[in-house]
Amino acid sequence: MLDLAEQALGCVPACDGAQATVTTERSLLLRFARSRPTQATGIDDLSVQVTVLRDGHIGSATTNGGDREALAACARAAAERAQAAARAGGTGAYPGFPLPAPVRSNDGHDADTARLDPAAGGSALEAAFAVAAARGVEAHGVWSAAEVETAISSTAGLCASERVTDAFGKVTCFAPGGRSGYASAAAVAARALDLGALAERAAAKAMMAGAPARLAPGEYPVVMEAAAVGELLTWLGYTAFDGLGFAEGRSALDGRLGRRVSAPSINISDSPRYPGTLPRGFDAEGVPKRPLPLIQDGVAAGVTHDTRSAALAGGGASSTGHALAPGGSPWGAPPTNLVMVGGGAGDEAELCRPVERGLYVTRLWYTNAVREKETLITGVTRDGTALIEHGEVTRPLEDLRLTDSVLGILERAEALTARTELTSEGEFYGRRFATGVVCPGLRCASVRFTA
Amino acid sequence: MDSAGARADYADVRVVSATEEQIATRNGTLGAAARSQEAGLGVRVRIGGGWGFAATRHTDRTGAEDALARALAIAEAQPRAATVPLAPQPPSRGEWSSRAEEDPFAVSLEEKLERLLAVDAAMRGDPRIALVSAHFAALHEHKLFASTDGALCEQWTTDCGGGISATAIGPEESQVRSYPASHDGNAWRAGYERFRELDLERAAPRVAEEAIALLSAPPCPAGRSTLILDGGQLALQLHESVGHALELDRILGGEASYAGTSFVSPEDLGRLRYGSELMNVSADSTTAEALGSFGWDDEGVPATAAPLVERGVLRGFLSSRESAAAIGLERSSGCMRARGFDRQPVVRMTNVNLAPGDAGTLADLIAATERGIYMETNRSWSIDSRRLRFQFATEAAWEIVDGARGQLLKNPSYAGVTPTFWGGLDAICSQSEWRIWSLLNCGKGEPGQLMRVSHGTAPARFRDIEIGLS
Repeated sequence: MLDLAEQALGCVPACDGAQATVTTERSLLLRFARSRPTQATGIDDLSVQVTVLRDGHIGSATTNGGDREALAACARAAAERAQAAARAGGTGAYPGFPLPAPVRSNDGHDADTARLDPAAGGSALEAAFAVAAARGVEAHGVWSAAEVETAISSTAGLCASERVTDAFGKVTCFAPGGRSGYASAAAVAARALDLGALAERAAAKAMMAGAPARLAPGEYPVVMEAAAVGELLTWLGYTAFDGLGFAEGRSALDGRLGRRVSAPSINISDSPRYPGTLPRGFDAEGVPKRPLPLIQDGVAAGVTHDTRSAALAGGGASSTGHALAPGGSPWGAPPTNLVMVGGGAGDEAELCRPVERGLYVTRLWYTNAVREKETLITGVTRDGTALIEHGEVTRPLEDLRLTDSVLGILERAEALTARTELTSEGEFYGRRFATGVVCPGLRCASVRFTA
Repeated sequence: MDSAGARADYADVRVVSATEEQIATRNGTLGAAARSQEAGLGVRVRIGGGWGFAATRHTDRTGAEDALARALAIAEAQPRAATVPLAPQPPSRGEWSSRAEEDPFAVSLEEKLERLLAVDAAMRGDPRIALVSAHFAALHEHKLFASTDGALCEQWTTDCGGGISATAIGPEESQVRSYPASHDGNAWRAGYERFRELDLERAAPRVAEEAIALLSAPPCPAGRSTLILDGGQLALQLHESVGHALELDRILGGEASYAGTSFVSPEDLGRLRYGSELMNVSADSTTAEALGSFGWDDEGVPATAAPLVERGVLRGFLSSRESAAAIGLERSSGCMRARGFDRQPVVRMTNVNLAPGDAGTLADLIAATERGIYMETNRSWSIDSRRLRFQFATEAAWEIVDGARGQLLKNPSYAGVTPTFWGGLDAICSQSEWRIWSLLNCGKGEPGQLMRVSHGTAPARFRDIEIGLS
């Protein structure tokens, strides 16, 4: 892999700097619906990305061909783009590729998972189907595992490589009446996924007794499971913590660093080696990842940068190891290993106890930013929404639309579970890049629902 | 396929090569100047009721054999499932190519960059403008499909498009305007000529001025109102509440764990009143210059145009050979599409189009509206997992008073329930206002696929809609 990256780098014509990144993906994903397998996908692919710097401008090209001819064409295309950009746009703002720095090793790889054994996935599906049959529900979901290897070589002398694995499983159970329940898990190793156990949790929610209650739009106390909290924090990553948005004045933390932005019990960081997370050694520019406080005791403490956003921010800012692409990504430089520290509640049931009448939310669906600078998002509850009455979950609840500010919800947060878990949507668009949020369950005094 | 025929009940292969170019400015510098090339093949096999799919970048015989072996192993490792026959499909053979007058990859990088940077500059100057961007994108794809049923089809497509956006920042808010649409603009299955015709230069000053004006505009009021949507927002409305809701795999529960299900059931065909009498929607993979147009879908089913909703009544579904057979339909509606060689096809929208009406131009429609709100250009979208309850926000709105467009309003939004909303449709602009709008980021499938689709729409009016929710 590093050899290939160096070969690609060797093909780059004279320039102000260059980086070659080689990424391989081997993955297996098995889908199922109505307690039968539906689609199963195995991928074995490679990407070589060459990024060239010329007068502060970045040009980039990607190929999945690994031969000398493909590498040379890729390097040429990247150089042409950088050169054309320099001719058309004067001097650009990119300061240059990062210098080498020591990368700490991590335990983000599992050899057994890397075998991508289809039989292991088949057995996992059988376990989910067995539980579903026993509980009288239908199981839908995914079992997936992957190995991704990344190697980076740059003219700045950087030379780094890393192999990681990830595994993701989820089960949504549907009861005969149409009510659904959800449970998911993500980990470095596939052996940590127990689809049977996930099916048990999902089935319990789907089989909750009672006719679904209905709540009018309004503001209610809410207890959220970690999956819902993780979704909120992911949006906070893009609307508040992203250093590019911060440098451009679009961030919710613009002018608010050092000020209180949430309840004092909220502590959020980007922690690439925190227990339970998907560890990563370096970012897409080879900059080592390290823990970075973002909100400490409710006070905004920092944002995440890549080389480009740090240069734009000025004031001595430097990359914090959050490049999604060499030279900067259109998506900015958001956190990829968010961690929210847990609190003192034993579990979600304990979070419910002070709630006279409110909502229990398993997860959120189709969330989207409405107004980014206000961290205002909207999304719908799904797969296990329930009514809390007199401190207990009592009966199913029809799904509602949440439309509220994420920072507002964190400002009104009252309690957190002690236990945290790695949450992930398991979405793998493009080349596989597994991320997740480690967070607890949360009780909020008041959340706004619009429909 | 010769090798696969003896080892699977059915198999197909797609050999795909694609070249993509993205150029984007960001505040006067190049935010992205990237080109990607990929090639590979994906083999899909069916054994009993189970599918297996394997993708590799190695397109020689050894690579194909290895992928076939892997696909077979994956299919065989899964729990047994009952076999549902595939809807019959005569083997398709032939070649098809989309039209492009001017190859976007033959236009010099310098020309594209200079144009984008000039447009970028035309949006800057006011200190309240924090971010401007001008964007160009083009895609060449070559695809060869073969199946054990005897299909052998080869097709070439060229897509091209772009757009601009400006973001203005106030103390507590940001406001954005885009042209010709948000989310990377508009694109066509056509050549560079379409990008030229966008006339970004002319639109740029207005886009920046409107973004700034939104900072001091009053908010969109809350309540119930007559609502006129521009074609771009209506395209997304159609996409989310009609197109996705009529995907037959979703209706049958096949997407329940991710994309969701549907409020529509197979039994609703011919019975469900989806909207008003004015509502005529088709799935048309023959629409000129639209991103959902092709010669054959990724199961070798020829392109076709078929009604989904006629005079407000449900008339069809988007289907595959497997899902069509599952509910007893005679044939697939030709909607199986895959993004790239390393994803297997799933049921997808082609071009889900709303037929034009007779309300004239947008100006005519506004003139014929006593009071209401006109909303333009999507900013935010969200719909529940059954495609029933939705909430959208647009970049800008204008009040309509006595048939005239009044003051600009910020933070507009509206919400509704799908059949009720479409039931409120009471006017659609005429053919002269009908346009193709693209959506480049339609997510579905696991592993995820971002599909490129188009929708033909003209501005339309809806009565008694809930607005101002956010």
